[in-house]
Amino acid sequence: MAAPFRCIYRPLWRVITGSGRLTVGMRNISFTENHFSATNHKTASVGSPWTLHGAVCLQRLPVISQDRNPIEEEFSGLMQQMELERSLLSDHELRLLEDAARMSRKQEEDYDSDEEEDYGDKEIVTAQDLEDAWEQKLKQFHPAQRSNGDKLDVSSSERCLADSLVLLIKQDVGSQKVWLLPQVQWKAGETLRQTAERALAHLPDVKATFLGNAPCGFYKYKYPKDIQKEGSVGAKVFFFKAVMCSPNHLPLEKNSFAWVKKDELKDFLTPEYLKQVNRFIMSL
Amino acid sequence: MNYLTSIKKVILLQNTRALMCAASSVQNELLTTQKVPWGALLTNRQYRSMPTHGIGKYRHLLPKTLPKKKKDKIQMKQIKAASDTEFGVLNVCVSGYDMTLVEHYSQYIHNFCNHLDIKVVESYALPTKTTEVMVMQDQGTKMYVDGILKTYERFVQISEMKATLCPIFMEVLLKNQPEGVQLCVKEHTEADFQSRFKARPELEGLIAKMNN
Repeated sequence: MAAPFRCIYRPLWRVITGSGRLTVGMRNISFTENHFSATNHKTASVGSPWTLHGAVCLQRLPVISQDRNPIEEEFSGLMQQMELERSLLSDHELRLLEDAARMSRKQEEDYDSDEEEDYGDKEIVTAQDLEDAWEQKLKQFHPAQRSNGDKLDVSSSERCLADSLVLLIKQDVGSQKVWLLPQVQWKAGETLRQTAERALAHLPDVKATFLGNAPCGFYKYKYPKDIQKEGSVGAKVFFFKAVMCSPNHLPLEKNSFAWVKKDELKDFLTPEYLKQVNRFIMSL
Repeated sequence: MNYLTSIKKVILLQNTRALMCAASSVQNELLTTQKVPWGALLTNRQYRSMPTHGIGKYRHLLPKTLPKKKKDKIQMKQIKAASDTEFGVLNVCVSGYDMTLVEHYSQYIHNFCNHLDIKVVESYALPTKTTEVMVMQDQGTKMYVDGILKTYERFVQISEMKATLCPIFMEVLLKNQPEGVQLCVKEHTEADFQSRFKARPELEGLIAKMNN
């Protein structure tokens, strides 16, 4: 079983220093591979002091491509110019040249229209007329704005269209309100991915596609001393990645959720949490 | 014959001039020890004893390729089934109207798979589909051709991708998807394989006649 999980589980093994506890998490995940077998997996250590949580890293993918650097702009301009100079004339451009030549021949005195071959109905609609009509159509097309500027605040999902945004939620953890990725406690008998889907269901009207059955990250924290009961020492959170299908506005209170870019995460999350979360959020 | 082939192998391994001399001289000896009329010995050309004789030979080093028969029916490669931890054979389909974007994106996916050591079985393109956009004229019932759009499709076939790698792979693909290009990841079926071939109406007509 160790071999197929090499890619993801290396970071997990680095994080967890305790030896036996990892097996609980591992068994959960291995059974989620076939999502239709939601059978009760054998969680061997029932008396584990860690409570499990499933969290979802919901991302809004970039809508448009990023702006180019000045160097990239120059290079693309140069390549376009080179391609234009090396290219052959297209059918439309040939037609333009022919029409212009025919026009100039018409102006001459000894013009004989019977000598023209393949005249047909090209006289009615010349290539230049077509081009003018196309230009008119292009002017009627107004593309949408690339950047909405700074008018939109953190809670709108249409913020930076060229970057990918992650959803953060202000949740009660213990007694404080903390900015987190949406998370929910695991119930016995369900796979961790179903826990993450439940976490997403708390935010209504969000259609998201989960990218896979394997979690992408992990975070564990200990409860403060006064809350620690006999059974529970702390909690372990497993993160799953999901991608938002359609942009919509979450009907939650204004200040309780935020769409942030990767570099803005540090303004919201605690340092320890941020360190783990940064490992699996890609800044592409 | 065994002796000759073993001599040749020694040449391959060590490849020294002296051995070549020895080999050629041994060959000559072999030729002469057979019952050959002495008139033929005069046809022994001198340069065969040169040390560099046969120095440019390479045909014997190439693997033996059998002549390809044209009548061979192209067999489909066995589609591997998905196991618990790995997907079977997946098709990543990239399609769009702009050929440069589609091709560059499919090349990017192919290189990305090579970099992550994901096995790419095949990388092929389906024929271009031309769509004519017809617009109804303002004052009449006739439609005229407004524009011609060509749809390009490229497929990258992946086999045995680990299920733990899949979310990362999908995320990178989605984040780097250019505008105007559609990405689709589906499982490979026999129907997909058959759709690459041209339909043969005469053959199908004859088969239908036979069955009726």
